[in-house]
Amino acid sequence: MGVLLSGQLLFAALSTGALYALIGLGLNLVYGTMRLLNVAHGDLVMIGAYIAFWGFTLLGLSPVFGIGFAALAGALLGWATYVCLFRRMLATPALLRRLEGNSLLIFFGISVILQNLAALAFTASPRGYLYLDEVYHLGNIAMTGNRLLALGVALVICLALYLLLRLHVFGLAIKALIERREAALIVGVNIDRVQLVSLCLGFAIAAVAGVLVSTTEQISPFMGFPFTISAFVVIILGGLGNISAGLAAGFLLGALQIYGVALTSASFQSVLVYGVFVAVLLLRPQGLLGRGRVLR
Amino acid sequence: MNRRQLLTGMLLATGIAIAGTAQAADPVRIGFSISKTGLFAAAAPSQLNAYELWRDQVNAQGGLDVGGTKRPIEFVVYDDQSNPAQAVRIYEKLITDDKVDLLLAPWGTPIHFAIAPVLEKYKFPMVGNSAASAKLRDIKPGYIWFPTSAIPDKMGVELAAMLKANKVSSIALLSSVLPFSKEIKSFLLPALDKEGIKVLVNEEYPPDVTDMTAMLTAVKSAKPDGVIVLSYPSDSVLYAKQAKELGIQAPFEFVLVGPTMDFFQKVLGSASNDIVTIGHWSPSRKDWPLAKPFYDAYVARYHEIPDHLDSALAYISCEILQQAVAKAGLDHEKLREAIASTTFDTINGPIQFKGVENVTTPTSFLQVQGDKIELVWPASVATAPYQPKTSW
Repeated sequence: MGVLLSGQLLFAALSTGALYALIGLGLNLVYGTMRLLNVAHGDLVMIGAYIAFWGFTLLGLSPVFGIGFAALAGALLGWATYVCLFRRMLATPALLRRLEGNSLLIFFGISVILQNLAALAFTASPRGYLYLDEVYHLGNIAMTGNRLLALGVALVICLALYLLLRLHVFGLAIKALIERREAALIVGVNIDRVQLVSLCLGFAIAAVAGVLVSTTEQISPFMGFPFTISAFVVIILGGLGNISAGLAAGFLLGALQIYGVALTSASFQSVLVYGVFVAVLLLRPQGLLGRGRVLR
Repeated sequence: MNRRQLLTGMLLATGIAIAGTAQAADPVRIGFSISKTGLFAAAAPSQLNAYELWRDQVNAQGGLDVGGTKRPIEFVVYDDQSNPAQAVRIYEKLITDDKVDLLLAPWGTPIHFAIAPVLEKYKFPMVGNSAASAKLRDIKPGYIWFPTSAIPDKMGVELAAMLKANKVSSIALLSSVLPFSKEIKSFLLPALDKEGIKVLVNEEYPPDVTDMTAMLTAVKSAKPDGVIVLSYPSDSVLYAKQAKELGIQAPFEFVLVGPTMDFFQKVLGSASNDIVTIGHWSPSRKDWPLAKPFYDAYVARYHEIPDHLDSALAYISCEILQQAVAKAGLDHEKLREAIASTTFDTINGPIQFKGVENVTTPTSFLQVQGDKIELVWPASVATAPYQPKTSW
């Protein structure tokens, strides 16, 4: 049982959790503000990972700079998606009513297209590169440089976004849109702009998460799907559209996986995660930390 | 002549022209399905690359020798979406509708097994490659052959023997729950028992495992002489990265699937050094004169090393087909007899089949040594001595 108290496990739980929180955050922004079910979220993670990979192998560009490029590419993709696909739907009441279902289909299509474009362009072979692989020791905790970097960047982004939503007027506008769409419209929030920025931000965060993933594991065009699933588990655990609860749920999922496996066995990883997931859906459908408000 | 007649005439003329050129070139059409999408999509390029390299090499030399005449090779390829049922439909279509002259293998054990009855039904011979399971011996011999020697029952025995020979007296065993891993485990455990090697940790994990910290903490405190990880590519990398992080110090490190692939060394750097893995081919083997040229041609074309397991096997299956066709032509029965009875000269040395199995290549193990992958077991084929792993 001593292993449960070890800092090593805590570090593993934190770094796993921070990545889940980050990936959930991007999805939650897009779902919260527009009710778009982005099942291509994991594929944006994949795009970000490839940007970092090519930047590193072709240009010798550090993934730290890759973060900037990936964020930009993610935001551009978000902008194009919003302008070409969703702006009109969001502005038309008749289409808005069916948006959740329709967006699921649209993003499914986008997911298939992105995966296959990546496979065509880069081949489906897994790829990877070596970055910050020295092991650092803090007391008896061993930490690989790239995992530390990923943890640090994920924490900073999560915190920055949390503060933005709490303190900045634009963040408040995003929150207003998430909580009371019609009321936000009435008090003069520029809904179109907030929606556009939220989508760009959501996509950019996913792409940045991809850069972080690429420093720690190998990448392939089909790597995205598990991230999409984890992201949905996280935001449903936290409560759909509830940003800060989503962040907490990310860390909770990380802890659940690491400590759950340590207590039982690795074979129970999925049983534990989905067991808790189903239990939450049954007992607290508004999310673990949701306040029980109606979201629509 | 009105317009319609003119058009028909022109069409007819082009038709004849096309038919004419077709007759002059008269390509040999070779069909196969490949997993371009789905579960195996990341693994399948290693095989497709080898096929395409072989085709272009043969065509550059004037074409495939069909019982004396050289004809260019043309591929007929479909995506089976990693779905065995889809592959069955594709192979039926290739045989009955596309009427291809020859067949190459799809990717992976499940799909090989699924199409074996189709080959049997149409009496169409096909040399397999990327499939390995003791169950392949249950397949009715006749129209399918497996050049691999990495078959789980033999591997279990050989691995235990290799451990014993290198004075490994205790191991930790981590195993994915996927079929290939479980099959090897089922043969490895009794073999270890027989050699008197203690299993200090015996854990299984799901293929979507994201972190091994808890498992590896247990491995570290058990202090085994060897760690055997029956893993697939993604968890192979995860294991090596976290074993390095936690500083696991076992002189013998075995990782099942992954170390022979190009990305493994790129993503792990020196941490991949001295890891032992499965495989029976290495370009370092001097008395296999075709081995190094294949390696060099592959690297020159794709800018990555061939997967020492699957790319090599795929290329071997092409070589076998090529030599059999040169001897017997395209007639299915003659071809079947040729494949079943000839000793082939391949990048993996001489290969001969008995039933469905390759009976000449011994079950072997490879070790990553610097930027080379060397054969280290058994001694009869070794290209370099085994080195204990001293650091990550």
